[in-house]
Amino acid sequence: MNRSLLTRLGLYAAIAAPSMLLVATDQPFLIQVAIGTLISAILALAWDILSRTGQVSLGHAAFFGIGGYGSALLTPVLGPVLGWAAGILLCGLVAVLLGAVTLRLRRLYFTIATLSFSLSIQVLILVTPGLTGGSTGIMPPVIAGGSPPLQLLFVTGCLVVAAGVSDVFLGRRFRPAFFMIRNNPELAAASGVPVTRLKILAFAVSGMVAGLAGSCYCGLYGYVIPDDVFTTNWNVLPLAVTVLGGMDTTLGPIVGAVVLRLLEELARQAVGGVGYQVVYGAVIILFIVGLPEGLAGLGRVVLRRFRPPGEGTRIKARLAS
Amino acid sequence: MTGVRVRGCTVAFGGLRAIDDLTLDIPANAVTALIGPNGSGKSTFVNMVSGQIPPRGGQVLLDTDAVTGLRPDRIVHKGLARTYQVPRVPKELTIDEVISVPLLYARSDRPLPGGARSAADLARYCGLRPEVTTRCGRLSVSDLRRLEIARALACRPRVLLLDESMAGLSLEDTDQVIGLVRDIHASGVTVVVIEHVMRIIARLCSHAIVLNQGRLLAEGPPPQVLTMASVREAYLGKGFTL
Ligand SMILES: Nc1ncnc2c1ncn2[C@@H]1O[C@H](COP(=O)(O)OP(=O)(O)O)[C@@H](O)[C@H]1O
Ligand SMILES: [Mg+2]
Repeated sequence: MNRSLLTRLGLYAAIAAPSMLLVATDQPFLIQVAIGTLISAILALAWDILSRTGQVSLGHAAFFGIGGYGSALLTPVLGPVLGWAAGILLCGLVAVLLGAVTLRLRRLYFTIATLSFSLSIQVLILVTPGLTGGSTGIMPPVIAGGSPPLQLLFVTGCLVVAAGVSDVFLGRRFRPAFFMIRNNPELAAASGVPVTRLKILAFAVSGMVAGLAGSCYCGLYGYVIPDDVFTTNWNVLPLAVTVLGGMDTTLGPIVGAVVLRLLEELARQAVGGVGYQVVYGAVIILFIVGLPEGLAGLGRVVLRRFRPPGEGTRIKARLAS
Repeated sequence: MTGVRVRGCTVAFGGLRAIDDLTLDIPANAVTALIGPNGSGKSTFVNMVSGQIPPRGGQVLLDTDAVTGLRPDRIVHKGLARTYQVPRVPKELTIDEVISVPLLYARSDRPLPGGARSAADLARYCGLRPEVTTRCGRLSVSDLRRLEIARALACRPRVLLLDESMAGLSLEDTDQVIGLVRDIHASGVTVVVIEHVMRIIARLCSHAIVLNQGRLLAEGPPPQVLTMASVREAYLGKGFTL
């Protein structure tokens, strides 16, 4: 149809190509690494969709876990397709409720509320062993019969879906309205935007995409305990990945997930032990300070250098403003 | 065309009544000046009528439609748009994207003024010279003011409230905006301008409303209102004569 659609299809092909290559060349270790990386990318895309409305979450582990647990527990009852759909819809429902409750909270208070929410969901799992297995965990049906190459292809497909959803919310209908809600909600309302409805919509979509990531994660090995999904790691990771790669873009969270994984491996090789985590954290902070627009922003700057001068200004990415 | 009726409305910030049991009518088919000294409640009046700060008690009517307590976006749908005294648009959005927000969300059958069909038409109509793909972070103050008017017009209003749209503009820019306001009015929109410069009010407005400490001080044709002793006193202090 038009150029932007072609560009997008090209982007999705470029996202899928490395996975195809890994599967074709049969690299077991890299395939495992890729599966984990792409799941982080899906979760980071979910986080970014919400942050475009100014809602900075530190509680996405909750949706990651609810999606994973929901799909796992509902698949034996409803079958794989409906089971996953129900698990992901459950995330949407929970997100709508959480979104409605946290609607009036400003910035940091919102963030703290999401963090507390994820902690309380973990407790909820621990105190309901009859329903959720409690601390002993559950045994979700594995994806693709447990074959890593097929799992990678499946997760890649899910990532392309998440990228498509992200692009819808970067389109003409939502991007300007979302940024206006983030920057100046009164102005958005004075422009006819139903601010509350859009914030909750963003929350629901974000929660469902995070639930998709969690469903993928839980379906990898056939065994999951609450500590695997409801951890601070899954709360902080999407933020770190997105800020590293570039907020408000589809490519940013994906590039960020890959680069973060690379940094982690490099630090592990160079430092070893547990000390590597310190180095790895320090490098992330350096990146964030040095590249406020993330790697995607750096890419734009480099592209502009090679093009005739047009827009030269840098627009700083902000966490919440 | 529609006027605005305010009946016994109060807006209080803590103990301060920024709007104090106010009752007034804004005539349809006119450009009305809303004047008063700094802090007299003009911006609060706009915030109240547009639903951003709902009044405590009383009623706001758009023509005969009660809009009291409606959400601001619902009031926009009903046909009331306002500009902000200090335009704060997301820096990363372009002119086109900012105007497109009300074009997409403020759905109504009313036509855009000046036969405009798109965001670019509206930008041109409001005298915005930069390309519509220019980001707002790079616009001058006077262009941000024009963009704010274009954004409000994209709401397809019946009633337009302009909060100090001409403050701080050069003489030339001011003349352009005066021409624009006349055009908007001629296309069938009831306009309220908040303005300090008496010369502009005298040229542009057929009716004037004076607020002081959140209350109605005077209203009537601008030449009469501007020469009233009580109005001069509110602006200049007691005992001051010219
Ligand atoms: N959001 C607010 N919170 C507290 N006080 C406010 C607020 N907005 C306005 N005021 C106060 O209300 C009074 C009227 O302000 P405003 O409507 O901005 O006046 P004007 O626009 O006529 O200069 C002032 O005393 C101002 O300090
Ligand atoms: Mg004011």
